[in-house]
Amino acid sequence: MYKYLLQSIEGIAWFGTAALLIFFVVFCVALWRAFSSHNDEMQYMAEMPLKD
Amino acid sequence: MSRIEHFQYDNRIVRAFGVASFIWGLVGMLVGLIMALQLIYPNLNFSAYGIPFFSFGRLRPLHTNAVIFAFVGNGLFMGVYYSLQRLLKVRMFSDFLSWAHFYLWQLVILGAAFTLPLGMTTSSEYAELIWPLDLLITVVWVLFGINMFGAILKRRETHLYVAIWFYIATWVTVAILHIVRSFELPYSLTASYPLFAGVQDALVQWWYGHNAVAFFLTTPYLGVMYYFLPKAANRPVYSYKLSIIHFWALIFIYIWAGPHHLLYSSLPDWVQSLGTVFSVMLIAPSWGGMLNGLLTLRGAWDRVRQDPVLKFMVVAVTAYGMATFEGPMLSIKTVNAISHFTDWTIAHVHVGALGWNGFLTFGMLYWLWPRMYKTTLFSTNLANIHFWLGTLGIVFYAVPLYWAGWTQYFMWREFTPEGTLAWGNFLDTVLQILPMYAIRAVGGLLYFVGVCIGVYNLFKTAAQGSFMANEAAEATAPERRVVPLAPGEHWHKWIEGRPMQMLLWSTILIAIGGIVQIVPMVFIESQVPKIASVKPYTPLELTGRDIYIREGCVGCHSQQIRPFRAETERYGEYSKSGEYIYDRPFLWGSKRTGPDLARQGGKYPDSWHYNHMIEPRTMSPGSIMPQYPMLAENKLDLSLLPKKINALRSLGHPYPKHFEDIAVTEAHKQAKAIAQNLKEQGVEDEGMEQTEMMAMIAYLQRLGTDIKAQKTATK
Repeated sequence: MYKYLLQSIEGIAWFGTAALLIFFVVFCVALWRAFSSHNDEMQYMAEMPLKD
Repeated sequence: MSRIEHFQYDNRIVRAFGVASFIWGLVGMLVGLIMALQLIYPNLNFSAYGIPFFSFGRLRPLHTNAVIFAFVGNGLFMGVYYSLQRLLKVRMFSDFLSWAHFYLWQLVILGAAFTLPLGMTTSSEYAELIWPLDLLITVVWVLFGINMFGAILKRRETHLYVAIWFYIATWVTVAILHIVRSFELPYSLTASYPLFAGVQDALVQWWYGHNAVAFFLTTPYLGVMYYFLPKAANRPVYSYKLSIIHFWALIFIYIWAGPHHLLYSSLPDWVQSLGTVFSVMLIAPSWGGMLNGLLTLRGAWDRVRQDPVLKFMVVAVTAYGMATFEGPMLSIKTVNAISHFTDWTIAHVHVGALGWNGFLTFGMLYWLWPRMYKTTLFSTNLANIHFWLGTLGIVFYAVPLYWAGWTQYFMWREFTPEGTLAWGNFLDTVLQILPMYAIRAVGGLLYFVGVCIGVYNLFKTAAQGSFMANEAAEATAPERRVVPLAPGEHWHKWIEGRPMQMLLWSTILIAIGGIVQIVPMVFIESQVPKIASVKPYTPLELTGRDIYIREGCVGCHSQQIRPFRAETERYGEYSKSGEYIYDRPFLWGSKRTGPDLARQGGKYPDSWHYNHMIEPRTMSPGSIMPQYPMLAENKLDLSLLPKKINALRSLGHPYPKHFEDIAVTEAHKQAKAIAQNLKEQGVEDEGMEQTEMMAMIAYLQRLGTDIKAQKTATK
């Protein structure tokens, strides 16, 4: 076994950039869709614990 | 035509986890209280009388494991098993699995209670348990997962309420965390060395450690909060939209926060920065959860005045908000420079643990017990008293430690006008904060007494009621498992009806943070610049290091000098990542109750260490360190040395071939040399070279001596 499995990886900066971009996109989509959702569906889900 | 199905919810398993939770809670908090008193009365370590099991260093992991995994762990299982059944309108997938989960989890806890005081520990915070227990935990978690996902798949309510998403994310992430943190190579039935060393071990540890907070102490409790708070208040959650947004943000962002435990350490800068930035961003989704909880009580605040359950829940959610504001603040480097290694960190932990986790657990228990026993709470008065004792306890716990933390910071960094340290003797800074430790112990005592009252109240409630082991329920059988979106339906409904996709996407998001931070550290040689003069530990030093780990010295002593002038003046050259490549596990520590030991090597003669370990107060009058006279009496056990050398060699330590054959002889040689040294320095005890003390001295005298001046070379 080796202390370092590979000797080098070139240009890993894209890892962080990609991850940040993925999150940003997902978050913006979640925000937009949440605000464009129907209130009665939200109400149905919100009341679920009270219905058992 | 859908038919009505009749089934039963399992309350027995809920009660079992609840009972386990408050019993272990009492145990874990009592251990904490003892430790708080040990800091003021070191005799309470009992090690002076030759009893090694109860010293502060050995008790610390017992306390943390008991309160996190036994108290909160059983509490979260109680909440999950109760709410999951009712939200999905289904009994747990398998009663057998429920009870297997319960008994095996208690077995893990008993294993911890047995092994930790014996000094069997990996020293990784919140992952101290030895490898056989790690395997058992994996088994338990898999059984829990099958039981939970089986119920989800068999559910009669097709939509997944927000609490369920939190449970799914919890299960997935804890599984990944546990597996990665448990990458270790066993060399005996009760011991192992971690796959990672030094800086990488530190990063993996705090990726794990912070996410243990995130996904064991936070997400499942947010889930139960989303169920029990609306139930207790009899009102729907304030904003379901907010819960969607903050769920996805939380599970993504939390993973990256781990490096905030390693600021100003020898962890590469880019990783530290990621940790800071994401920790600060984390305020938003965390406060989303807090606001959702508190605003659910709009218009119902008068009920909070009367109902102790709501009181506990309100303070719990508020404490959650406080801790999730303080945490991001502590993750900012300038603030962290003040707080790291001080008691401010301890205060922060306990606001979250006592306030959020503790109080939400009690809120759930007080709500559940009357319902499951078909009666009313035995005494609302006692519950209110518990509430006030607990709240005061939290205040008296945290405030003195804030004071102590700032005192430590100011004293550690103060310089005289001549340019020397004003408080050159670390002990002076400890003595200064002992009164604050005393008040903290009072706070802990108040909190503990409150819990005792609560347990009494629950017992009396059970005694006056009749237990409903199985609760009858009915629901329409669903026609389809997966609900396609009707026109105009919200997109999130798509994933709410698809638990497997929820599982998959949660996994992907949480994996991203770990991969981005950890993979480059592991694979890129240049991330840890090597130092040519750093060599592996000798066999005797290795043995001493393992004794250091056994006694839990890392609980009070750090080994990481930060690049501040106050630290380099006090401790020596600041720590470089290349110095730690043979540290398996890393021992950077999180707290300085005692001084940093990173460059302890060569500071004092061997005889100083000999006397200091046997009775610290002979060398440091007023010290609160436990005594370790057993080190001078215990016979040095080198039988495992060959196995240790082999294990380390396969993990990359450059021990020569066949070195394991001469390791024991080498160790004895070095021990003899140290014994000779001690004799020349006036220590006259007989048979010294056969004792563990030689190993401990060898290790301590090695610390930090490998680097000379500024010479750093890359291979």
